[in-house]
Amino acid sequence: MTRILFKEGLFEEIEGKPTLIGSKCRSCGQAFFPSKLVCLNCMSTEVELIRLSRDGKLYTYTTVYMNSEHFSSPYTIGWIELREGIRIFSQIRGWQEQPLRIGMDMRIYVETLWQNGDNEVVGFVFRPQPERVWP
Amino acid sequence: MAMREVAIIGVGSTVFGKFPQKAIFELGTEAIWAALKDAGISPKDIQFAYYANLYGGMVEGQAALRDAGITDIEVTNVENACTGGATAIRRAWYDIASGLYDIGIAIGAESMTTSPIAGKLIPPAKGDVSGELGMNTVAKFALSQRRYMDVCGVTLQQIAQVSVKNHHNGCTNPYSQYKREFSVADIINSRLICDPITQLQSCSTTDGAAAAVLTSLDIAKRFTTRPVIIAASIIRAGDYAFRQKDLTFSDMTNKASKDAYIMAGVGPDDIDLCELHDAFAVNELQHYVELDFCRSGEEVGLLMDGVTDLKGRLPVNPSGGLLSKGHPLSATGVAQIAEIVWQLRGQAGVNQIAGARIGLAHTLGGEVADLEAGAVGIHILKI
Repeated sequence: MTRILFKEGLFEEIEGKPTLIGSKCRSCGQAFFPSKLVCLNCMSTEVELIRLSRDGKLYTYTTVYMNSEHFSSPYTIGWIELREGIRIFSQIRGWQEQPLRIGMDMRIYVETLWQNGDNEVVGFVFRPQPERVWP
Repeated sequence: MAMREVAIIGVGSTVFGKFPQKAIFELGTEAIWAALKDAGISPKDIQFAYYANLYGGMVEGQAALRDAGITDIEVTNVENACTGGATAIRRAWYDIASGLYDIGIAIGAESMTTSPIAGKLIPPAKGDVSGELGMNTVAKFALSQRRYMDVCGVTLQQIAQVSVKNHHNGCTNPYSQYKREFSVADIINSRLICDPITQLQSCSTTDGAAAAVLTSLDIAKRFTTRPVIIAASIIRAGDYAFRQKDLTFSDMTNKASKDAYIMAGVGPDDIDLCELHDAFAVNELQHYVELDFCRSGEEVGLLMDGVTDLKGRLPVNPSGGLLSKGHPLSATGVAQIAEIVWQLRGQAGVNQIAGARIGLAHTLGGEVADLEAGAVGIHILKI
C-alpha cells in the first residue's frame, strides 16, 4: 500500500501533529485555506504562509446517506470555524462515537481518506474533542 | 445605449416527469412547438435561439430546433447549472433590448433520468476539492438547514410545511410531476438523504423542457393584445464563500433581487406571485428573507399564516415549485417564466391567482468550491 497525498501543500505534520497551511494577507488581514499567492479579498500580493489553528468549532455538519465518488454511505462532512476567521470544509470522523453539536470543539487529524487501488489517499479530517465537564 | 422594452409573446412546456425513452432534444422540440403555437408565429419568424442544457452532449440546441423547422440562424448553447434556463432568457432579453434582433426563442431542456448523475447526488465539476471530499448539492443545503434549525430555531415540521404547500399546489398543475398530497409526517419520515434533509424535502429526478418566444414590445403588439413585459432580468455569479457571513443567508440572491427591484421599478410588496428555487424545502423559507418578502425571523410566520399559499397575499410556487412540479435543471428557469406568463394572462387554470399583474422568478445553483454558489437568476414579469 502506497500512501499518497490527497493534494500537495494543504498541511504539514510536525512531530506527528498536523497543521493546515493557509495564507494571510498582510494588507487586509484576510486568511485563506488553501493558501493563495494573491489575496483574493484585496488583490494584494503581500501574503504570507501561516499555520492555521489545529482546533476549531463545529459550524455545521451533515451525514450523507448515499455514496459519493470516494465515500460510502453513511459519511459525515461539515464546516469547521477557525480562530483565523475562516471556515474549513472537511470530512468528519468519530461522529458515530460522539454525537455532534454545533459549536463543539473539533481538532484536525491526518488519516486515510479513501483507497484507490494500491494507493492509500491521505488527507486531513476533523474529529470532535471530548466535551469539557466543568466542576 | 437606449434599450428597448422586451415582451414574451409565447410560452410552452412539456409535462414534467420521468421520460427516459425521450432524447433531451425531443423534449426541447416539443417545448419549442408549444411556444411557437402559443405565440401564433411560424418557425421561420425566429431569428436567434439560446438553448440551456447541462447534461447532454454537443449542439443539443441545434438538434431540438431542427425538428421544429428552425435552422440556419444564430444558435447559442448555454450552461449555468440550475440557472441555465434563466440565463437563456436573460441573453435573449439582451439581444432584443439592444436592437440586435427583433424576435427570438429561449429554451431550457434536461433529461435527469438519462444523465450521468441519475440516481446520484449532484456533485460539483470533476476535480473540485469540496466534491472530492464528499460535497454534493443536497449536502450543501443540509449543512445550511442543520444550522438554520439549531441556531435560528426553525423546526423540521415548519420546514416540511413548505413541501406540504408546494405538493398541494402541484396536484392541480397539469405540468407537475408528482400530483400527490403529502403530510408533514410523510415528508419527515421519508428516506433520509443528507441529514436533516429527507427525500420529500428534496426535488426529484425530472425530465422536461420549456421555451419562451421573446420580441420587442412594439412588435409584440402585432401578435397579441396581452404581451407580458420583462421588467427585470438579472444574472449574477456567487462571490467568495469567505465573504458569506452566514450559510443560512444567500447574499447572491439578496443582491440580485435588489438589482431586479430597481430595474423593474417595483418593490417586494408589489409582487403578486413568485416562483422561487425550492430545490429543498428549507430554501423557500430562507429565500423569503433574501428576496425581501419579510425580515429575518418572520419567514416561518409568512408560511404558517398562509400568506404564501395559493389563496394568500403573496402566493409562492403556485405551480408546485421544484419540489412538486419537478426540477429538470436547465429547464427550470424557463418553465418558471412560462408559469408566470400563464398566471399574468389568466390562463393558469385551477391554480389561477386572481388579478395577478407582477410575478418574480428566482433560480439558484451550481456547487463550486470557495464560492457561495455558481449563479443566481431573477426575472420580474408584468402585464
